[in-house]
Amino acid sequence: MSNIANLQPKSNLRSQPNSRTFLRSTLRNLRRNPAVALGIVIVIVWILLAVFAPTIATQDPLSQAVSDRLQAPNGQYFMGTDELGRDIFSRVLYGGRITIPAALAVVIIDSLIGTLIGALAGYIGGIWDEILMRLTELYLAFPTIILAMAVTAALGPSIRNAVLALIVVRWPSYARLTRGLILEAKNDDYVKAVRSLGATHTYILVKTLLPNTIAPALVYASLDIGNVILLFAGLSFLGLGPEPSSPEWGRMVSIGIDFFDQTWMWLFPGLAIASLVMAFNFIGDGLRDLLDPRTRK
Amino acid sequence: MSLQIYIIRRILFAIPLILGITVVSFIIANAVPADPINANLPQNALNDPELVAAFRERWGLDKSPVEQYFIYLGNLLQGDLGVSIKTKNPILEDIQQFLPATIELATVSIVVGLTMGISFGVVSAVWRNSIIDYLVRIFALIGVSFPVFLLALIGLTVFHAELGWVAGPGRLSFLVDDPPQVTGWFTIDSLLAGEWETFWDALSHLILPSLVLGSFVSGIIARITRSSLLEELNADYIRTARSKGLHERVVIVKHALSNALIPVVTIIGLLYGNLLAGAVLTESIFAWPGLGRYVFRASTSQDFPAIMGVSMLIALIYVAVNFLVDILYYFLDPRIRLK
Repeated sequence: MSNIANLQPKSNLRSQPNSRTFLRSTLRNLRRNPAVALGIVIVIVWILLAVFAPTIATQDPLSQAVSDRLQAPNGQYFMGTDELGRDIFSRVLYGGRITIPAALAVVIIDSLIGTLIGALAGYIGGIWDEILMRLTELYLAFPTIILAMAVTAALGPSIRNAVLALIVVRWPSYARLTRGLILEAKNDDYVKAVRSLGATHTYILVKTLLPNTIAPALVYASLDIGNVILLFAGLSFLGLGPEPSSPEWGRMVSIGIDFFDQTWMWLFPGLAIASLVMAFNFIGDGLRDLLDPRTRK
Repeated sequence: MSLQIYIIRRILFAIPLILGITVVSFIIANAVPADPINANLPQNALNDPELVAAFRERWGLDKSPVEQYFIYLGNLLQGDLGVSIKTKNPILEDIQQFLPATIELATVSIVVGLTMGISFGVVSAVWRNSIIDYLVRIFALIGVSFPVFLLALIGLTVFHAELGWVAGPGRLSFLVDDPPQVTGWFTIDSLLAGEWETFWDALSHLILPSLVLGSFVSGIIARITRSSLLEELNADYIRTARSKGLHERVVIVKHALSNALIPVVTIIGLLYGNLLAGAVLTESIFAWPGLGRYVFRASTSQDFPAIMGVSMLIALIYVAVNFLVDILYYFLDPRIRLK
């Protein structure tokens, strides 16, 4: 369900003449925006919790204590236990170790693939550009999650394959973005100046144009992380991600459905997903506001 | 540009897209590591080379991929989407059985989402930076950040299990019979048959899933309406309208809103396609017998013809809805007519 975010107005993601000053002024503005600050704090807390999960967790996330099964949250088990007596709190902590790297991998690899393909298409133009644009339109027409389901089903369910599936279905929007930026910047004066100095195409593309697309691509990627986390959780909720015993959040929720009245079994992992996605949306919204000249004060 | 030329142009644009959709569907449905022969023939038949060859010939597997594609395309034109490996039924029949439930859910969800989203967006933009504005923005944030399955479970716990306001999973209660099928929409069919009890039961089952799906839509619509209305309210023509002494309500509803809704119309098409797909998660929680559950079962049993049949159908619906949106645009935005 997340092609939508790609359709938000992108005119604000313009190429900037100087990436470094752009990043610095953005960072300065960010500090003044409380929602963004809150988002950054939540994300950092989740990263720390995931990194130090082995120290913070009170139990082994996989160890079963059948005598303590289905316990409501209490002093020993802060978030209760599941149907096999595993500690939900420890499992939620360990869940961050799966979701955060998975989402980052998708976003980073897609930015790289998308930037490369989009830049080439935008710069070379002609038939290549035409092919890329038609291809991305096709991708938009297909329902993301069903396409990802087909890919995971073909490769077999696992974390790696779910990540692969999301990479496969999400790169076109990145390519579209970079292509637009390159088309816009291609005829700017500074590019003309470099060209008139006799620079090669490779030089213009790599040294002049690409650095200016990095900042907008970063912003777009940060806007996209939330969607990727939701899609990843959706896939594993459907059983197309990690194996059943894995402390992955979406998977934990889907197991919790069979124990509907034991609210804690699905509520805590679900809220973990929601809080992380919300934090990334705070950051993404803030970045968009800062970059949008219409809302910038 | 006249309307006819505009429509013809749009159709011409859609043809390569539809062909592309069939190519992608064909490639994915056939690029499976598993050999369909192993999946479809019993073990003892696999040892019989004549049977295997007959099977290959029957399904065109002995031909080149390009030939296979054209056979596939020819079948498609006759409405033949292939046979599901799992249910052994023609996929078109399966789809006809499961589609109405999904269409009913998705349509009601988008109506709920649009109504809530547009009203929230307007309220939020008109009283910018007020408490209402912040509440709406928090609601919109929750709508786009909470996983649908979490919203569904919270909704079921609060409104079904605790308060008992709405019915739980399924389309009808256990003892209620399906209404005689006309449209496949239980709400409409029960009304047509005059079965009021069935109607209320169907409606009560529909409320929660459509609110859950609709909350995602309304989150997005509220955000877009808000930012687009804020932009319009700053425009010169609004100042003109106000200085003419028009009532503020006329200025907002008649002048600003009608322009601000153009971006909303643009994404309705996309949202509808996404709703059909997003129904996969919602339907699995609400035990809603629709396409989402069908495609989910297909994906767990590696039933690729079925998966691709469904995604191709959704892609085609997406193209069709966007085609309608484009035509709607023609009436909404006079600038297109001048091009």
